[in-house]
Amino acid sequence: MNIAVLSCIHSNLEALNAVLRDIDQQSVDQIYCLGDLVGYGPHPNEVVARIRELDIPTCQGCWDEDIVDGLNACDCSYPSLLAETRGHLAHEWTNQAVTSETRNYLAELPLTLQQDNLCFVHGSPHSQHEYLLPDTSAFIALERVMSTGADTLFCGHTHVPYVRNLENSALTLKVVHPPTPSLPHPSTPSLPHPSTPLPTLKRIINAGSVGEPRHGRPNATYVVYNTDTQQVELREVEYDYAKTCAAIVEKGLPAIFAWRLAQGLEYAEKADDPTHVCER
Amino acid sequence: MLTVVAGPCGAGKTTWILQELAQEPTSAVYVTPGAGSVPIDATLVAAKFPQVEIFHQQSETELLQRLTAGIPIYLELGFQLEIDVPFLKTIPHRRVALVAEENQDAGWQRWADEVILGNRSTLNPLLAQLWRAPLSGQVFDPPSLDTFWQELVQGAYGEVHRAKGIFDLADGQAFHFDFVNSLLGRAYTELKLPRWVQGRPNRFSGIEVVGHGLHGDGDGPLGRSSTIAATLKDCYLSDSLLAAHQAALKDTLPQEVT
Repeated sequence: MNIAVLSCIHSNLEALNAVLRDIDQQSVDQIYCLGDLVGYGPHPNEVVARIRELDIPTCQGCWDEDIVDGLNACDCSYPSLLAETRGHLAHEWTNQAVTSETRNYLAELPLTLQQDNLCFVHGSPHSQHEYLLPDTSAFIALERVMSTGADTLFCGHTHVPYVRNLENSALTLKVVHPPTPSLPHPSTPSLPHPSTPLPTLKRIINAGSVGEPRHGRPNATYVVYNTDTQQVELREVEYDYAKTCAAIVEKGLPAIFAWRLAQGLEYAEKADDPTHVCER
Repeated sequence: MLTVVAGPCGAGKTTWILQELAQEPTSAVYVTPGAGSVPIDATLVAAKFPQVEIFHQQSETELLQRLTAGIPIYLELGFQLEIDVPFLKTIPHRRVALVAEENQDAGWQRWADEVILGNRSTLNPLLAQLWRAPLSGQVFDPPSLDTFWQELVQGAYGEVHRAKGIFDLADGQAFHFDFVNSLLGRAYTELKLPRWVQGRPNRFSGIEVVGHGLHGDGDGPLGRSSTIAATLKDCYLSDSLLAAHQAALKDTLPQEVT
C-alpha cells in the first residue's frame, strides 16, 4: 500500500494543488496530512476546504492551534525579533481571514493519527511546536518515537524533509537502589536487567513542506511511503509559485513573504537548535 | 605626501588605504569628504588605526599644516564625487585609482598616476541610487540583523551592488558589515571598540547601500513594510530588551562596564 504524507501547507493553494496532481501520478492509496494548513500564505480557507473536500486525515499543526487558541509559543517558534514581528503579522492577518467554519475545523483536528505501526504528528508526539531535527539528540528522538508505540513516526514542522533511522534502538533504564540499613549485609546495589534491544527499526520521516519550503528552492515537498516495503520517496514538486507570491502581495500580507517564498526560504520561523526541547 | 584615491563603487578604495596605513610607522590623516552623517569608512579607519586623524572635509589650511609636518594624507573620493577637486589643483599629490580590468574603459586610468587592480564594479553610475542612514543609538538583535543583511544583499529591497554598515549589537560589540556584489560572500569584522554595556551607544553606527531600484524608505513598490528602513526598525532592541541584555552582560563582563 502506498501512502502520501504532506505537511505544512501554510495557505498555499497553488502548491497544494500541484502536490495533489503529483500524488495522482503515484498510485497512492491514502493521503495523510500533518497539519499547518494555515499561516503565512494567502489562501487559508481555500486550503482547508480542499483538505476537507478530499477527506484527508489530518492532525493539528502549531499554526492551526495558534489560530484556535492564540499565540503562546515558547522560544522555539521564532529565532529573532524580526521573525517574531513577521510571524505575528501573519498570525493577525490569518486570524482575520479565517471563517468560523475553518476555525471550527482546525479546532477539531486530532494531535496524533495512528495507522498500524505508523504514527503521524505535526512537530513531535510531545507537542505540535517541538522540532524534531535531523540532529536532535538520538535519545530524545528515540523516546519520541517509542512514546507513540509505533515503529515509524511521520512529522513535519521543520520544513526540510529527511529520513532518520534509529537503528538497534533500545532505551535502557538503570535504577540504583540505595543500601537498605535493615539489611544485614548491604551490598552492591542491585541493577535491573537491561531491557532487551527492540528488534525493529525505529524511523522518523519528515515530509518537508508543501507551501513553505526551506530547502533553498521554492518547490513543494512531500513523501510517498510504501507500507509493505518501507520504501520512502521524498518528492519535490515544481509549481507556479509566482501566483502565490502575487496573491501574498495582493491580499496585504508582508511583501517580504513573497520574496522569501520565491527564494525557498522560511517566512519567519526557522528550526536551528537541535538541543531545544519545546516547553509549550 | 597627499595621496588621492578614487575608483568605482566597491573597487576597494578603503581597503587599499587600510593596507597603506598598516605600513605607516607614524600617524597619518584620512580625509573622506562627502560621507555626510554616515561616515562608515572613517569610523572603520579610526577603529583600526586610532592614531590616524580623521577629516570629514577638505580643510585646506589644516591639511597643508599636516603636509608641511611630513604627515602622510590619504584622501578618498567617493565614486559619486567628481575627481576634479578644485582644492587639489594647488597641492601636489599622487593619484591612485583602483579599477578592475573590466572597468578600465571608464577613464579612471587617464586621471590616475597609478592604477591598482580593484574589484569589478557592475554598477551603472548613471542609474546608481545611494541610500544611507545613520543608526547611532540603535542596538541590533544579531539574528534579526543577519536575516535582514541576507535579504538586503540577495535583492529583497532592490538590486544591491554595494552595501556596508557599522552596527552595534546586543552584546555591546560593534561590527562592520561589507558586501560587494562582484565578490564571493560577505565580510563581517568586529571593531576593536570598547563593549557598550550601559544604555544606548553614544557612538556612530550607520548603513550605506548603493544599487538600482532600492526600496529605502517611504512607500516602496510593495508597501511601507517592504523597505530597508522599516525592516531595520524591526531589528532594533527595545529599551527593555536592551536593559535585560546589558544586565546579563554586566554579570559576565564586570571589568568592561563603561
